[in-house]
Formats: sequence, structure tokens, C-alpha cells
Amino acid sequence: MLQKILPDKFYKILSEKVNMKSVNEIRLRADKPVVINVSGKAFFLCENGVTSNIKNALYASKIMIEDVIFRASECSIYSVNEQIKKGFIVTDEAVRIGIGGNLIDEQGQIKTMTNFTSCNIRVPHVVKNCSLSAFPLLFSDGVVQNTLVISPPGCGKTTFLRDFVFQLSQHEITLNVLLLDERGELDCGINSNYTDRIAFSTKKVGFENGIRSLGPDIIVTDELGQEQDIEAVKMASSCGVKLLASVHADSMEIFQTKALFKGILQEKIFKRFVLLSKRNGPGTLEGVYNENFARLALGRL
Amino acid sequence: MKYVFIILLFLGCCGVGYFFSLKYSRRKKFFNSLIALADKLSLEINFSRERLKVLLQNFDATAKKDLLGIDETFIAYLDKTQELSGDAIFKKADCLKQDEKDAVLLFLKTLGRSDVENQTKEIQTFISRFTEFKKQSDEQQKKYGSLSIKLGVVAGLFLAIILF
Repeated sequence: MLQKILPDKFYKILSEKVNMKSVNEIRLRADKPVVINVSGKAFFLCENGVTSNIKNALYASKIMIEDVIFRASECSIYSVNEQIKKGFIVTDEAVRIGIGGNLIDEQGQIKTMTNFTSCNIRVPHVVKNCSLSAFPLLFSDGVVQNTLVISPPGCGKTTFLRDFVFQLSQHEITLNVLLLDERGELDCGINSNYTDRIAFSTKKVGFENGIRSLGPDIIVTDELGQEQDIEAVKMASSCGVKLLASVHADSMEIFQTKALFKGILQEKIFKRFVLLSKRNGPGTLEGVYNENFARLALGRL
Repeated sequence: MKYVFIILLFLGCCGVGYFFSLKYSRRKKFFNSLIALADKLSLEINFSRERLKVLLQNFDATAKKDLLGIDETFIAYLDKTQELSGDAIFKKADCLKQDEKDAVLLFLKTLGRSDVENQTKEIQTFISRFTEFKKQSDEQQKKYGSLSIKLGVVAGLFLAIILF
């Protein structure tokens, strides 16, 4: 999937000299060395693979970055302008590419982004069973609990959510799952017979439409971060739909201080909190907590 | 035998004249098709926002024939199997002048590289330019295209009379 979007030279090195299964991110910045995040650690790309020595690093150019974005949009930037306005593109294979450049603003409205100067290619992975040790703790009396997956960026929140949906199907739990895939990167290799998907919609619209039309038992969505996301969560919760979502935070303590979540924490809408980190590589499970933030003992099914 | 040779010589001269006139009609047809393609792209990019490759593939098959293979080479470039260079794009388009080739190459290079509003404006600018080329090719076809055929016929007749 990266062959289509990366410059040939970089792709050749990555495919021949780097273990792609452990590559999390590829960062290209204009006239700067190419940075590869391998198992949570940053290296430079060089002729022989990856290196920590900047002297051997390969550099990206502005033209290369423009070409990556052009290729990622299937050579049709106009068709993904709504995504570009939000600062990213998601390819058909769920590769999310964050973009840096100049935002063009007209009368307070973002029109597009031009003069691309950097991009961050996030390589999606399906890590089978990565949610398995937390899986039983996310149920109480056989009912899925509203769960929030917490971690800093790049620690495997999305991978955890994907695997949770996969595990539901593996354990023959025939609950209808709605993937509310706001950025189109959640549905990557999920093999489930009970999953519907609404993509590229805001949480508010997706929750409303999804609950009305698809009647889900569980809604799985990525990254709550705005006031209207919280409103959507409250609305879904009041409808009796279970929720599995993620949020950015370094630790449980920092998460609890976030003003945005004060209301739903007081209302105890979320009954489980899964904390992930990069301590032993992305996806390290630090703990599962209940609504009173008491740590639950981890188990394995 | 002599008469057969004279007839063949006459037909040969007419053929050469026709061959030269073809260059002008191919050029005219090329710009007709290119303008039709640019119009379609402008319209579709505005409304359906369909991917460039799909739009090119779905372009009218009859008009496609007159594009002298530039659409196929451009699709190969989109598939990352070919470079976007003048040599590759204009392999079959020897009837075009250098400034026309430059404009067409620039047009292809701008496709798919901006948002709807800018892309549409760019395409409209190119359509105006291609319309100018079309006008020129139209005039030249009328002037030199028919002249080539007439010269071929006259030369054929002239040689036939001398040999007769």
C-alpha cells in the first residue's frame, strides 16, 4: 500500500531493508531527514535501512512531499479537499497521512491547504489479540461497558479498538457494532460479520444517523476531543447504546483534569478506562480502570 | 503497361498530398477532443469529484481515439508506471507544434494537484488556450490541408501529362 504513495527510492529501502511490521510512522519534512518511527523509537532513513546517525540520513524534498500527497489522494487532490482542510488524508487502505502546509482562510473559513511542507504517514497495523487481556474486563454481567481507551498519540488506541471489534466476533458475541469512522482509518482489516460503518462524518451526525437507521448495540469511535463529541456521547448513552471510544492523554491523572470530560466523568457514563502507553512498544497495556478509577486486575481469556 | 504506370504515379502523388493534409486534420481533431476532455473534467470535478483516472477512463471512446495516446500515457503516469515527460506523452503526437506540446504537458501536470475551485479555474484557462490552438489548426487545415491535396493532384497530373 505504501508503494503507491512513497517515492520509489524510499519505498525500495523500506521494503528491502526495514521490517515494515514494526514501522509506525514515516515523517517527511521539506529539506529535512526522513524520520522513521520503528516500534516507538525514531530513526533516520538511510541507504542501508535506518540509522541514528544524521550524517547518513536521506533527505526529503518539497516536491517529494507534494507527490506523496498527490498520490495519496489517488492523483485527485480536489476529491479529498474536505480532509485536507482538516489536515490529513486517509487512503483506501486506511493509511492516514497528516499534512503540514499553509491553510488558506477566507472570511474565517478554511478553504484549502497549499504549499505542503511536511507529511506524517501513519502505517496502520492489525495486531491480533492486542485487546485480549483487557477484553474480559470490559464486560460486566455479560454486558459490554462504556469504555474509553486513553493514551498519547501513536500508542495503539485505534489498533486496540479494531481488535476489540474483531474479538467480539471471535467470541461469537453477536452484537451489532457501528464503526463511526470519522477519519476513515478505523476500518482496516476488521473481519466481523456484525459491523456497520459510517465514515467521514462528524460524531454528532454519525451518532444521530447511526442510532436512528442502523440500530447498533455498540458504537466504536476514535478520538473524542470536542464539546459536540461529548454531547453525542451523552445522547448515545441516553439511548442505551454502549460506547467504545478513545481519547488523547498521557496518564489517568492528566485525563481526569481535562475540563471537557468533567461532566461525563461526574455522570459516570464511562465505566471502564483502558490506559495504553509505548513503554514496551506501542500498545503496552498499562491498566484497566473502573468508573471510580480503581485499577482492575488484568486477565486473559 | 505505360498507362498503368502513369495511373499509379498519379495516384501516388494524390496519396502524398492526402498524407500531408492528414497531419492538419489530426491536429484539428486532437484539439477538438482535448477541449471536450477538459470540459468534461471541469464539469465532473465540480459536481461528482470523481477520481481523475476514472474520469479519463470513462471519457467518450470515439473522442479518445483522436487524443493520439496522450490519455493512455497519462493514465500510466497516474499508475506510477510511466514518467510524465514530453517524449513519452507525445510519442504518437508528431503533428503538434512545440508550443502546443508545452501547453498540453503543462495542462496534464496541473491536473489533480489543487482543490475544486482552483482546478476548475486552471482547466478553464487551458480551455481558452486550447480553443486558440484549435482555431489556428482549423485555419491551417483549411489553408494547407486542402492545398496539399490540390498540389498532389496537380503534381500527379503534371507528371502524367509529361509521361504521356
